Amino acid sequence: MVGFNFKSVYTIAKKEFMDNIRSRWIIAISIIFIILTIVSSYVAGGQGEFGGMEATVATLLSISALLIPLIAIMLGFSTIAGEAEKGALYVVLSYPVRRVEVLLGKFLGLGSVLALTPLIGFGLGGIVIAATVGAEEGLAYLAFIGLSILLGVMYLSAVICISALCSTRVRAIAGGVILFFWAMIYGLIVMSIYIASGGSYEDFLSPSGLSSLPDWFWASVVLSPNDTNQMAIMQAFGLEQVIVTPHIGAQTAEGQKRAGTQIAELVRDALK
Amino acid sequence: MITKTIMCPKCKNTLTVQGNPGEKVHITCPSCNIKGVFTFPIDESISRVVHDSFALEIKDLTKKYKELIAVNNLSFNVRKGEIFGLLGPNGAGKSTTIKAILGLIHTNSGEIKINGFDIIKKGIEARASVGYLPERVAFYDNLTPLQTMNFLSELWGVDKSVSKPLIKEVGLEDAINRKVGTFSKGMVQLLGVAQVMIGKPPVYILDEPMGGLDARWVKIIREKIKMLNKQGATILFSSHILSEVENLCHRVAIINRGKLIAEDTVANLNKYLRIKPRLEISISGLNGRVPEVIKNIEGIEAVNANDDTLFITCESYVKSHIITSLQNSGLKIDNIKTIEPSLEDAFVKLIEGGA
Repeated sequence: MVGFNFKSVYTIAKKEFMDNIRSRWIIAISIIFIILTIVSSYVAGGQGEFGGMEATVATLLSISALLIPLIAIMLGFSTIAGEAEKGALYVVLSYPVRRVEVLLGKFLGLGSVLALTPLIGFGLGGIVIAATVGAEEGLAYLAFIGLSILLGVMYLSAVICISALCSTRVRAIAGGVILFFWAMIYGLIVMSIYIASGGSYEDFLSPSGLSSLPDWFWASVVLSPNDTNQMAIMQAFGLEQVIVTPHIGAQTAEGQKRAGTQIAELVRDALK
Repeated sequence: MITKTIMCPKCKNTLTVQGNPGEKVHITCPSCNIKGVFTFPIDESISRVVHDSFALEIKDLTKKYKELIAVNNLSFNVRKGEIFGLLGPNGAGKSTTIKAILGLIHTNSGEIKINGFDIIKKGIEARASVGYLPERVAFYDNLTPLQTMNFLSELWGVDKSVSKPLIKEVGLEDAINRKVGTFSKGMVQLLGVAQVMIGKPPVYILDEPMGGLDARWVKIIREKIKMLNKQGATILFSSHILSEVENLCHRVAIINRGKLIAEDTVANLNKYLRIKPRLEISISGLNGRVPEVIKNIEGIEAVNANDDTLFITCESYVKSHIITSLQNSGLKIDNIKTIEPSLEDAFVKLIEGGA
């Protein structure tokens, strides 16, 4: 490639930001996200028995694991397929710009809209945590915000690829939905393979069991942005009270035992 | 196309004829009815075309979509300073051709030059010399026309100050701060025309610029095309409606199923395509009889009578003569319908003629 114009990238990024920050859907889902994070930071943070900071992060993680991919997919699915259908993309591409500049500009512009939601939500949530629990783990919390944005960026890259590959907006929506549900189904698939290959649920319930998990099981997370992100957050926090489980996520040992007991009771009741 | 004034060798009456260099036309002198043939001289400036006198060069363009051949070995050139019409029925491959010219789609084969720049090897230079309006364009719903134009001028690399005058030029100044999402189709199209002029390029490619718009918008867009051409620009635009092209284009190319079937001046094409209008005249008490008075009128191609309706295929200029003749003979005309030829008829004729 001969030359590269950063000004075009900046111009495209600025337009994407201005256009999408005004989108009603994005505003609505961001407000939901922000409210949920503040409320759960308050609730989880206020109840010391859950383990304060670490439990709060585990709760926030479940919110971000659901809503951040959703925001990324909503931002990105029509950015190429939709604009090509409308003709606006062809106007842009008929200008003296390179395609790679347009693509990079879109990625950066949509990425900054995407980053804004967790920054506001977790930022305000952080203030609530600091007020209720204390601010000892501020750095780790910042790392958590950064990793949440990284999760969004992973989804955004994937969904922009889908948008570029799909010829119509409708197909791109379908692609986005498949991408969204992939994260949920993927963990189950890997778990089934593990159980089928002789593993046991017991392994996930104790630290010693976890250390016996095979390497491929740990490595398999790379095929799902959500699971990779969960692992990264666990690593960042080095949580001791929290059991780190690929594909399942993190819960406190207490919570996991209680959930286990509850499920066992439900099964027993059902069999009666 | 050249226009020549010639003199009838017998009665010294002068008449003007139009045609291409080297073309032979058959002429009948209107005053003494003598028939003759006139051959247009071969114009030196046209026959010795220099390479970059073309604004657009399309050579052996082919584009396939799986089994469908959308554009089939298409070649044509557009001269500098010309308004060139790309005509064809819906689905003929016009939009595909235009997208290929701009390098927006991958082609199977072909060489394209805009203003002398190869669209693939010199993409940036080629695209910097062309303004493009896609078919049925839409912009960003959440931005105002001013924000849209500011974005596009920044992207083109010119100062944002061009935006406002251009919006004014297409008559959208009242909506300058409204979101484009609330615009009507015509208004969006006008914004599309405004954006085409941002970089003041020498070449303009407009895909169905008047498609589906009402008369008021069509007039504005026609005027813009004429104005740009007067300023020296070359314009290529596509259409599937013959009346849009008449009186506007210097030359036209007609494509069907991705193939070039005619490339000529509008005057020649009109002659080629001329399908006569049809009159349907209801006369009470006709009873399937063709009135004697109209049998000898020059310019009538065919007459048919069915019950109380008379079907006449004729030259446009004899329509009023037919009607007055009928009235003068004492027949009572209840209703007159004129069926004008459509481009679709012309295509049928062209395709059948070529087969």
